[in-house]
Amino acid sequence: MLKQLAILATLQLTPTLAQLAPPAEPVAATPAKPTPAATLFDSVFRIEVATQNPDYRTPWNAGGFSGGNGTGFLIGPNQILTNAHVVSNSRRILVTQRNSARKLPATITHIAHDCDLALISLDDPAPLAGLIHLPIGGMPELDSEVRAIGYPVGGDRLSVTRGIVSRIDFRAYAHSRADSHLIIQVDAAINPGNSGGPAIQGDKVIGVAFQGLTQADNTGYIIPTPVINRFLTDIKDGQYDKYVDLGVGTFPLFNPAMRKALGLPDNDKGVLVTNIIPEGPCDGFIEKNDILLAIDGSEIDSAGNIIVDGETLVLHEIVERKFAGDIVTLDVLRDGSQQTAEITLKPLPGAPIYTILYGERPEYIFYGGLVIQPLTLNSMSAHRLSDVTTRHLTANYLDKGIFKDRPEILVLTRVESDELTANMTGFSGAIINTINGEKVLDLKHAYKLLYETEQPEFTVLEFEDRGRPLAIPSGKVESVNERLMQTNNIPSHHYLGE
Amino acid sequence: MKSFVSFVFASSFFTGSLVADTPEEHAKALLAPKEVPATELVGAASTEILDSFVRVNATIQTFNAGQPWQRNSPQRRSGLGTLISPTEILTAAEMVANQTYLELESADSSQSVQAEVVAIDYKANLALLSPVGEPGFLSEKTPLELGEPASIGDSVDVWQFENNGTTLKTTATIRAVDTSATFLSGYSFLTYILKGSMQSASSSFTLPATRDGKLLGVLTSYDSEDQISEIIAPEIVATFLKDARDGDYEGFPSLGCATQRTEDKSFREFLNLSPDGGGLYISKVKDDSPASKAGLQEGDVLLAIDGKEIDRRGFFDHPSYGPLTWTVLIRSDKSVGDTLNLRVLREGEFVELTATLEAPAPPLVPRHINDSPPPFLIKGGMVFQELSRAYLQAYGDKWTTRAPLTLMYAMENPEKYEESRDSIVFLARVLPNPATIGYDRLSAIIVNGANGQPVRNLTDLNNALSSSPENGIHTIELDDVPGTLYLDAAISDQVDQQFLQQGLPTLSRLPEVPETPEDAPVIQPTEEPNSGE
Repeated sequence: MLKQLAILATLQLTPTLAQLAPPAEPVAATPAKPTPAATLFDSVFRIEVATQNPDYRTPWNAGGFSGGNGTGFLIGPNQILTNAHVVSNSRRILVTQRNSARKLPATITHIAHDCDLALISLDDPAPLAGLIHLPIGGMPELDSEVRAIGYPVGGDRLSVTRGIVSRIDFRAYAHSRADSHLIIQVDAAINPGNSGGPAIQGDKVIGVAFQGLTQADNTGYIIPTPVINRFLTDIKDGQYDKYVDLGVGTFPLFNPAMRKALGLPDNDKGVLVTNIIPEGPCDGFIEKNDILLAIDGSEIDSAGNIIVDGETLVLHEIVERKFAGDIVTLDVLRDGSQQTAEITLKPLPGAPIYTILYGERPEYIFYGGLVIQPLTLNSMSAHRLSDVTTRHLTANYLDKGIFKDRPEILVLTRVESDELTANMTGFSGAIINTINGEKVLDLKHAYKLLYETEQPEFTVLEFEDRGRPLAIPSGKVESVNERLMQTNNIPSHHYLGE
Repeated sequence: MKSFVSFVFASSFFTGSLVADTPEEHAKALLAPKEVPATELVGAASTEILDSFVRVNATIQTFNAGQPWQRNSPQRRSGLGTLISPTEILTAAEMVANQTYLELESADSSQSVQAEVVAIDYKANLALLSPVGEPGFLSEKTPLELGEPASIGDSVDVWQFENNGTTLKTTATIRAVDTSATFLSGYSFLTYILKGSMQSASSSFTLPATRDGKLLGVLTSYDSEDQISEIIAPEIVATFLKDARDGDYEGFPSLGCATQRTEDKSFREFLNLSPDGGGLYISKVKDDSPASKAGLQEGDVLLAIDGKEIDRRGFFDHPSYGPLTWTVLIRSDKSVGDTLNLRVLREGEFVELTATLEAPAPPLVPRHINDSPPPFLIKGGMVFQELSRAYLQAYGDKWTTRAPLTLMYAMENPEKYEESRDSIVFLARVLPNPATIGYDRLSAIIVNGANGQPVRNLTDLNNALSSSPENGIHTIELDDVPGTLYLDAAISDQVDQQFLQQGLPTLSRLPEVPETPEDAPVIQPTEEPNSGE
């Protein structure tokens, strides 16, 4: 996660989601000619999605309605694989088969935002009878030819583009903002609407088209099969458990003086552990300043790479292919002696402040004109929270273990003007430390302190950096709530999640 | 405080950036409508002319924040100064900030003498110059007396030179008196607001303003659209001169507290303040400041200063100027050593306090580095600097979001660093070389210590790294990942010698002892409702 964030931060070119396609222009119908590959093409569908996007600016509102379309393909009985971003925030999913006018309603069965994959199924699978299930292949060779199949912009019908595998890399997945995984770059054209479509080599799927670069030509990205297979394995138990992470930060050991000072031979092996996320899988097993020498028996070089089956991978890729509860073995050098640690993997402590939330109703509390929301990437972007205090808190949230004291960071996001709040200027965006003197842990705790506890004459909120508290005469809150909620059409003074 | 966002002239002044502050651009900004009835050409024979003004020509050279061993290209700036004694010339501080050469010139550019800065105050935006050596043509000039404070509605003459040496006089009217930060943001001073149209002329960077033949103040900005200009008020000029003329310039005093307005009705109720009264909430008291020594506490409500009541927005009623921000009671007539009486409400009780004003202590992160070259140290190709606001501002327009977060945080939260440091020493960048393999991309990391010694400032770091480490490897302890850096002492020295051979003028510039008091730290937050003092 740490490394992945760093990659994101230095990213010069912004990957764009190949998602929302404008309404396509009608084209004249021509009769379909059966071709040798027709059966394969028949298993690739157009997916049309109506979305409702949560509004984190006015969290009580229903959010805006929009829509888009993408591609999906059949990989098993009533199992249609597509991108998570194609069906995120969906209210209605319609699947259209090739050469058919029927729009078939579908439902999400599993969605994995961290690797941008989703499985959907038709409410009535009958139309899928007789179609082939596209087989998932392996990793393609560099410079080998691939075809991308889908329903991109520019027409209504199936499109096929062709190119070669330009690069295999470990890169950021734009959908969640916080994740990086293995990626294949191809020079086949991948355009909005291609998202979720298969990349085919021979008669096998070698990836799912999912993003492109706006500032570069002929760079399409596809999700390779190790990531697809991991997703399909993860959901076998009926639910998606997300990726796991070591939760350690490392620093390359290239520098000769650094190697000498640390007593290391000049052999280009090992990386320095610079930080350990508290309560992460390595906490208690690995220490700061340990030197990581090997992972699952593969030697780690001084850049943090390992070689598996003749291919160079970053050491995180070992963990990438594992699941929660799996064990990874780390060889470390600590104070001159080599030790082995067996790490039981688990996801990192929850951090919605790093990843975009999809399909969830925004949580909030409304109290006498004050709107309180948890700090999430969504609320940060909706309220443009970019001050130094907020950024510093989020940057250190995992590393410095801030999440232990504050499972959620609460922000006073809005002050609706009324009798009690008329001159409370300059408080929106303030991070709440205490309510009536008590440190506030999360939104549910705040709700308890505000609405389920008898209030003193003044309800007092203290903030991280605002110089003074806010005080609300608690006796007037009820009547102010009533008036403001009516004016602003606020259905409830809270939504605390499910 | 108020701000003149629309001021064409002012906005370029405030940036302190030379890019926009060329005389040419100011000349453009000064373009006025063709019909200018208020401006008259005054012939040399006229009796109305005041013979007390000179051109001030400055060569300005700022330092490159990212490559502190370099100065940026020189620029010329030209403005006017006023002779206030046979050897004293008053002008605006921004006119001579970062100057490397100063010259005083006659109106017709026929005669000139070299000059130097005797005293300068960047916050008040005033500078006192004097000729180097013989006063030359200045001895033929007539020094101007300082005028008394004026009143709203009074007429004021603003003076300019044409290229050919003739003098332009524009008459304008004092329309309001307010406070304004005319050069460095954050510190506002008493300012006269004038209405009257002026035209473009040479040397129009800063202009003298007179009333009844006496110097009233220095014009620092003019907005050609609204025909509004700002003049540093005579009170500020008088206090500045009094301080400057006693030989040791201490600067305007400060109280050392941050305040918040009390218009919030709920908050007034909470504080037990009367619904129709005033008062400012004390949100922060700086350690060792006059406020702290006087016994002022956070949570107090400041009701009056020297008997002058302060309203809920922080205004007091000035006998002749009307409502003005309370800071005028501190930064105007008062000097370091003067006392103030503070009336405070604390837990329902009135408390009387007496504060003795001091010059503010140098802040951990200085707001500006005008005239003081940024200190730096290069060791093995690693560039260490002391953090200043100017360094962060070099990140451009959106510097508050583009500058490195750790450094921004240190600037906004000096109290978290102050105890163990005199300044924030940080690794600014790495000049790639064979000794820095693996370190090349490190930047913006705060330094805690070196070779086992704490680093309070760049001199400490230099001293720690000057000793020969036991195993031949220097250790530098950082406040962030990767924690410790190791440098081979012998290789680093070789590398540094190569940098010198490749044209780097020097490997270090260690901090100078500041000659003028620096600004007080800004007690933030980022937006209203705070006003700092």
